[in-house]
Amino acid sequence: MNTKPFTTGLSGNAVMITRVADRQWHALHDDLVVGRGHAQHRADGRLFVSIDAWHDVIFDRLAAAMVAALPAPLHTVVDEADAELTAGWRRAGFTVRRREWEYTVPTDPRVTGLDAVLPPPGVTIVPAGQADETLLRAVDRAIRDEVEASAGWQSMPAEVIPLPEGDTVVDPSKYAVAAAPDRYLGLIRVTAIRPRIGLLAVRAGERRRGIARALLAQALGTLHRSGLAEAWTEVQESNQAATALFESVGARPMSSNLELVR
Amino acid sequence: MTRNKNVIEVEGRVVECLRSAMFTVELENGHQVLAHISGKIRKNYIKIMLEDRVLVELPPYDLTRGRIVFRYRN
Repeated sequence: MNTKPFTTGLSGNAVMITRVADRQWHALHDDLVVGRGHAQHRADGRLFVSIDAWHDVIFDRLAAAMVAALPAPLHTVVDEADAELTAGWRRAGFTVRRREWEYTVPTDPRVTGLDAVLPPPGVTIVPAGQADETLLRAVDRAIRDEVEASAGWQSMPAEVIPLPEGDTVVDPSKYAVAAAPDRYLGLIRVTAIRPRIGLLAVRAGERRRGIARALLAQALGTLHRSGLAEAWTEVQESNQAATALFESVGARPMSSNLELVR
Repeated sequence: MTRNKNVIEVEGRVVECLRSAMFTVELENGHQVLAHISGKIRKNYIKIMLEDRVLVELPPYDLTRGRIVFRYRN
């Protein structure tokens, strides 16, 4: 964000804050929309807010109106490098709940060192687009239930996309899976056009066997053969296992996002 | 360029990714503005990269700055 103090001709008192919809606010000055606020429920129940304003005073007025009207807790996401925006939310009483790092991940096996990585005995990696959809949905559901029963999705970096009837597998063709003879043990979801590792997860009882590393090797190798040199992903700072895995293949932290809460 | 409810919006192309979560965007008319990402885009984890086509909202008081409010599919 890039805000400036009010200059000549503008004053905070001249700005009118209007709730234009259930979860939308406008700041008006001389009939100009000089700021907007927005609130949005995520599927996991968290209420996220955002404000776009050109001036600190307008930001503060919008934040005050939204905080007064919406039920706590309220969440927001900021780029940690955006000091002004972060300061604005702090003025509104928001504090840091967690930090997630955005990593750039090389795909070249000569860089990642993953060229010789194999899955553990009895496990095979099924490339993206070839997974059995029923088994894929079963492992996705099982892992999500495990997360929900332990750390909870509120500690995951990416948002939980709202889908009808709890369906969390939007496009099965984006998933590669680790398969045992009777079921799938883990999965990785990669979007290829703008290469992003959106999800990498292994069933709780199957971890520390090298399955995630084998899934990563398969996914990054596929991107590399497609001519893509890098992918990116987000990792929660407190997730030491994920951080160690990505940094061991040469991933570099490029920026960080803060989730703030009030 | 569009002007809807006193909001000036212009299409442009990201020509530089800067520190402090800022971007240099070259507008259709050739002018460059220093732009940040809107809260809604950040909230939805939409990544802005070099060469992306974007829609930039310009402030009514200062046409050298901007806010990226939409990223087009390339």
